Amino acid sequence: MYKLALKMAWASLGRRTVRSSMVILMICISLWGLLLMQGIYDGMTEQMIANAIRSDSGQLSLFGHGYRLDPSLQTTVVMQTKSGPKLAEYLDNDARVSSWVKRLRQNGLVATAHYSRNTELFALDSEREKDHGGLQKYLVQGEYGFGEQQKGAIIGYKLAEKLHVRVGKKIILSAQDANSEVTSVALRITGILKTNNLWLDENGVFIALARARTFLGMEQGVSQISIMLHDDHTLGELQQDLQGLFPGNDILRWDEMYPALMQSRVIMKGFSLVISIMIFAIAGLGIFGVMLVSVLERIREFGIMLAIGTGFAQIRAVILLESLAMGISGFFAGALCGGLSLYYFKLYGLDLTLFSDAFEEFGVDAVTHAIIRPDYFITAFVAVLLATIVSAYFPLRILKKSRPIEVINEL
Amino acid sequence: MFFELALRNVQVNRKRSVITLLLGTLSTALLVFSSAWMDGSHQQMLKSAVENYSGYIQITGEDFRENPSFEHLIFDLDSLQEMVAEDNEVDVLTPRFESFVLYSVGEKGVGGMLTGIDPEKESMVSRLHASLKEGEYLSRGDTNQLYIGNELAHRLHVTIGDEVAFVGSGADYSFAADMLIVKGIFQTGLFEFDASSAFLAKPYFDMIMAADNMATHVIVLPKNTAQADALAGKLGEEIGAEYQCASWLQTMAPLVKSMKLDSVFGYITLAIIFTVIFFVVMIYTLLAVFARIREIGIMRAVGTTPRQIVTLLLFESSMLGFISVCVGGLIGAAFAWYFSLHPMVFAGMEEQFKQYGLAVSAIPTAFEPVTILRDMLVMFVLLLLSTLYPILHVNRYQPIEAIHHV
Amino acid sequence: MQMMDMSGFRLLVFFFIVSFLNSPLFAAAEDAGSIVKKIEENLNGKSAVMDIEMMVKTSRSKRTMRMKSYSIGQEKSFIKVLYPRKDEGITFLKVDNGMWQYVPRIEKVIKIPASMMLQSWMGSDFTNDDLVKESSLSDDYQAQVLRETGTEYELQLLPKDDAPVVWGKIVMSVSKQYFLPTTVAYYDEDDVLIRQLSYTDVKVFGERHYPSRWIMVPMTSEKKGHETIMVVSNALFDVEVDEAYFSKRALKRFSR
Repeated sequence: MYKLALKMAWASLGRRTVRSSMVILMICISLWGLLLMQGIYDGMTEQMIANAIRSDSGQLSLFGHGYRLDPSLQTTVVMQTKSGPKLAEYLDNDARVSSWVKRLRQNGLVATAHYSRNTELFALDSEREKDHGGLQKYLVQGEYGFGEQQKGAIIGYKLAEKLHVRVGKKIILSAQDANSEVTSVALRITGILKTNNLWLDENGVFIALARARTFLGMEQGVSQISIMLHDDHTLGELQQDLQGLFPGNDILRWDEMYPALMQSRVIMKGFSLVISIMIFAIAGLGIFGVMLVSVLERIREFGIMLAIGTGFAQIRAVILLESLAMGISGFFAGALCGGLSLYYFKLYGLDLTLFSDAFEEFGVDAVTHAIIRPDYFITAFVAVLLATIVSAYFPLRILKKSRPIEVINEL
Repeated sequence: MFFELALRNVQVNRKRSVITLLLGTLSTALLVFSSAWMDGSHQQMLKSAVENYSGYIQITGEDFRENPSFEHLIFDLDSLQEMVAEDNEVDVLTPRFESFVLYSVGEKGVGGMLTGIDPEKESMVSRLHASLKEGEYLSRGDTNQLYIGNELAHRLHVTIGDEVAFVGSGADYSFAADMLIVKGIFQTGLFEFDASSAFLAKPYFDMIMAADNMATHVIVLPKNTAQADALAGKLGEEIGAEYQCASWLQTMAPLVKSMKLDSVFGYITLAIIFTVIFFVVMIYTLLAVFARIREIGIMRAVGTTPRQIVTLLLFESSMLGFISVCVGGLIGAAFAWYFSLHPMVFAGMEEQFKQYGLAVSAIPTAFEPVTILRDMLVMFVLLLLSTLYPILHVNRYQPIEAIHHV
Repeated sequence: MQMMDMSGFRLLVFFFIVSFLNSPLFAAAEDAGSIVKKIEENLNGKSAVMDIEMMVKTSRSKRTMRMKSYSIGQEKSFIKVLYPRKDEGITFLKVDNGMWQYVPRIEKVIKIPASMMLQSWMGSDFTNDDLVKESSLSDDYQAQVLRETGTEYELQLLPKDDAPVVWGKIVMSVSKQYFLPTTVAYYDEDDVLIRQLSYTDVKVFGERHYPSRWIMVPMTSEKKGHETIMVVSNALFDVEVDEAYFSKRALKRFSR
């Protein structure tokens, strides 16, 4: 029976090629646009979040209690409680943790013969950072690392611009050491970073941890421990466990350190949802119009079918199948186009400077790599299905009310 | 004749008309409102950033903006102020003297800005007074009383009534130091500003900093803020090359840029929605035209030229388009107007907004007739374009073919 | 054959190095170090007590200050401002790399933080840092004689690798008669002249020849028209200076 319905649906679609193809094209293009929008907007937000996580916060960061409000060398991460385990061992052995790094931070002043600027010093282990956040991938000039004698510094590109320095130039860093004495050190710029984490690009001076330890007189202790996880979902759990085991620390998730980024993500999600609903509602209206007309112009046909004993269920099946056929073809066409273009932008990225050259000033990567999530397609599929069924439902009701058999006798 | 015929046709083909009208109206309303919302939020962000502290027009000594040193001060404040005040379009003007000092409390030393202001006038050009959190705002006769940013107060561990010492250098490079008492604490919500700024009444400031009749900035509030840029240009010419006069478009250039960026995304999103609307209107027109294909065939058979038919159909579409654009424009405008008077409040999104220098979470829409008319025109053209293909398509049929079309 | 060539080449290099080591240039470089050492000794002495007048000129103002300074070697110094009245009693203490200031008006000892080190000292063209690192020339720089005339040496001082100094190069003219500097030119890493310090008017204080007038002229466009002149009106060298001056408590105690 359904075979027949399918045949009929196909035939009637074919009879109105222009109309049917227009509906399919409409669904295809709206889906295409929607997928692109979602994938690229999400790509942008996630890239900003990733930049913050990789360059600074990790998914989880530990600070000594009160450090964030009043940063000083004296406030260090509590590495061990009296009876409890050692933090380093705990992190090394916890299966949830994929990597972790130590950083010593201090405010200071960098100077050249011409300029001086307040900065934040990040003393770290460049090798460990490599596997942790992939700091080396942000390098735009010079080399990653602090040179053979560990006397180099990597600085943010905006800071470099403001100091008018290049790779190979010398900067003098002054800061208060552990005894609150002012101490200075000469650094040779080995590399320039562009993380698009605005604070770091403008203020960050990265030097070797060992060098900072001697220069600042801090034989031990770190200001921050940044942790990366294998799986995002274990984040809250690990945070709680650490809080329980090492209570003297402030343990912050990335979204607690960068609340604006989390809000961006939430806003983007809400925004995408609203836009999707609007687009599918409008597209639904289009399908509805076509279905209505196609039902009404065949009302006598259906009348005759009913008169010769075809069940209404079969007619309903024909109409629904017609609608679904258009919807699903549109979906596949749109999903294919959208998916392929997203895949392209995922691989090669979309150069946003096409639209404006100002993106980078606000922490957005110039080249945004799209994200493809299965749920884009699943949601879209459900939405298309819903739109087609609903838009076939009303014409069916009208058909039923208009008593097709009587219609045959008219005219 | 076309008009009457078209009107009749529109009335007869009620379903098509209603849906086209509905869609047209809806999308026009949507476009008008989204533009008003987008512009409104951007204007609000800029306005808030401008009014927070930086002001609509800043006058500085020549080269001060590029190289803010005491070499490029305003050295004759009184005569500059007189000159500027003469302009009818100037509402309020107020001087500021910004200097970098070292604050010290106990063992703790923190570098920051110390600025001398005219408290009464300052409260008219910026939100400094409105940002009062604790204690009291300054008044003109105040001496060593300090109005300090919340985060700076935190960093120095002080509260109302506590002493804060500072050392810095006066306008003549002489050594300056004083013990100040915290009178009020403010919080604009902009972390960097609140963590580094504090204010003194200018008469006292002038005394300890040897800054009498000098300033780093004169902030001008125009009577019509929308004309700030033009006024800045005009004032710039009046006061001469010794000074630099910049409107917020220059002082806030990065923010202005970021707003444009945001609009790019807004319009891309709207474009996607409109593509869908375009198709839907096209589909409906197609349906409507084909429903009348016999009629059209007969008209052709009795001698109506294809040209005339296209004209007639276009008349119909324009009519529908016009009505829906008008109604939609009105609805959109009504919403834009309502929400411009009753701003939407977005509690809990402050962090996101602070990034843009916005410290409030209520966002009014922008009610601008010109923009609304522009959007209506865009929509009208779009609606008309979407009917073009079906209308031209139907003319490809031969009259006889059309009459027999089922 | 090739081996021969290689060893021949090595030999050549060896000879080159040996002859370089014995060249007058290298010999002078050793000399230059001792010249700098001598200069430092002559400028600082074991200890010194000086009366100094400082004139700060800018394009639109001129100020005069007077102060008294006590120092032991290069490591410790104490300065007290005597004039103008409004700044009277301000004291500075420098011990090693730390610097403190006492301001009677606010009755407070303030430690100059790292972020203020490059700020101007008392509105002059000297920075706080200049005072703190005043004369670590021999520690921070590698000296070399550029030229030698009948009366003067011209020295080039290049910062040592680790030296925390902003300059790319210092060129110093030294009088042979007194082993005192006459001009010191400070360059950045790109060989752009940033400022120039001149020592003139050598006088005899006790048994020591000493430049009584120091003139600092910044050469950058931002500081056009600026000039700071220090005049040493009186000086006692190698006298007993009370160690009590060089403690934080002294800042307040000797302020009056």
